[in-house]
Amino acid sequence: MKKFYLTPSWHMLIASSAAACVAVAAPGPPPAAVLPEVRADGDLDAQLDAARKRLEEAAHEVAQLSSQLSGSVIQQVMPFEPGHAIIGVQLEPATGTAGARVREVSPGGPAAEAGIHVGDVIVAVNGTELKGREPARQVVRIMRDVQPDATVQLRVLRDGKTRELSVTARPGPAVLASVHGLSDLGFGPFPEWHGALMLHGPLMDMELATLTPRLGSYFGSDQGVLVVRAPADGALKLEDGDVILAIDGRQPTSGSHATRILSSYQPGEKLTLRIIRQHKTLEVDATLPESMGRIRKDMMWREVAPRERTEPARRVLILGRDEA
Amino acid sequence: MHPDLDQQRSLARRLRELPDEAAQPYGWREFQRRSGARRRAGQGLAGGRALATASVLATASVLATASVLALGIIAVWTRLGGWSPHSARLTPQAAQPPAGRTAAMEHWLASLPSEPAVVHVGTRAAVTGLEDRIAQVDDLLSAERLDEAHPARLLALQQARTRLVGALVQVRYAETLADESR
Repeated sequence: MKKFYLTPSWHMLIASSAAACVAVAAPGPPPAAVLPEVRADGDLDAQLDAARKRLEEAAHEVAQLSSQLSGSVIQQVMPFEPGHAIIGVQLEPATGTAGARVREVSPGGPAAEAGIHVGDVIVAVNGTELKGREPARQVVRIMRDVQPDATVQLRVLRDGKTRELSVTARPGPAVLASVHGLSDLGFGPFPEWHGALMLHGPLMDMELATLTPRLGSYFGSDQGVLVVRAPADGALKLEDGDVILAIDGRQPTSGSHATRILSSYQPGEKLTLRIIRQHKTLEVDATLPESMGRIRKDMMWREVAPRERTEPARRVLILGRDEA
Repeated sequence: MHPDLDQQRSLARRLRELPDEAAQPYGWREFQRRSGARRRAGQGLAGGRALATASVLATASVLATASVLALGIIAVWTRLGGWSPHSARLTPQAAQPPAGRTAAMEHWLASLPSEPAVVHVGTRAAVTGLEDRIAQVDDLLSAERLDEAHPARLLALQQARTRLVGALVQVRYAETLADESR
């Protein structure tokens, strides 16, 4: 079969779409025109690649260690509390009106993505108007019954006007079962979150681009995520230039969304990708790579039963099988 | 008192007196401006090998400078207690993280595009992992505050949030730099 490669012209196309995205997303002067790439000295190219890799590795380490530290705080505050869907807001009672005032919005969280602002007053959730003395508590209670990936309809008051906003809840990240004595047991930097495979495995160098209308016209699709660089070692059976339409039925709407979906899988899990390759739609069965770098293989995930019937089970990382 | 100890205390005091809001090396608009300037300079000398070398060196120097600046900021924050693992302890005596610093970081994050045009999955997973963790802490803070939890619990969560937002700023900064150098 003829193989499809991303030629320099494809890179140009992606780069110009990238510039367009930046222009739309960031206010201010438009970016300069994209120029043809000038081939640089090979050694300097290699050095630059190495510097970039070190920068990214340092970023991964900062993220991982910070997440670990906060994970231990969450455990101290609420040990073994089953996880539930999250929308990423801090609420407080509103003054002068019935509703819950948004005190903080998590950067990059579901509420931020939906356009919720600090100071908005939530007056209804999924059609239920907030009444009574404790509207903020009502919202928290309603949210406990929301399933991950469910859409939550919020009616908010902003500047005296009512707006309807849809927030897609996300699953709360897993919480480590035990953090004591890890270094004594020979555990290296602990993964502690669901995206560990993406940080250390063969998928980490994969590159994706959200399909814009201009890019999409070349690939015969107005939705999906373009694979700019396929994973190393043929993982997921993807090739450069594929367009991912769905991952086990979940349709990625952006590179970030695709990353989040893939992060929810564990090593060795099977999945089905619906892709466009050379203008043909295909279903590809693939298996998540087993390789997880520094993470010990005798760690395992286990479902923890909820304390109350209304609460969903959650997955926690358990130390060696002896403790299973 | 031993002169070394005295000097150390003096240094610590001077570090504490620094303003709360450690400014980013430069913002997104400045980043775009510099990027545009580099490209325009490249256009003037198109095709020249010297340009290619200069361009790569310029990018490498931006990376190096930014890394040094980032390390400097981390060092200052560590001195200020913002990155100390001890701050995660549930001690009511611990200092409340300055709200202005977090607000400045969140303002900077809000000024960025939601994701680079070409997403590098490894780094993006670091970003999304932090974003989800911050959202989890925010939801917990809401519930804890409404339940009138012990102030020490609220403080510990608030400090965890500040640390996570700081980490998100650094990771996004690295992501932006790496993306720009491709």
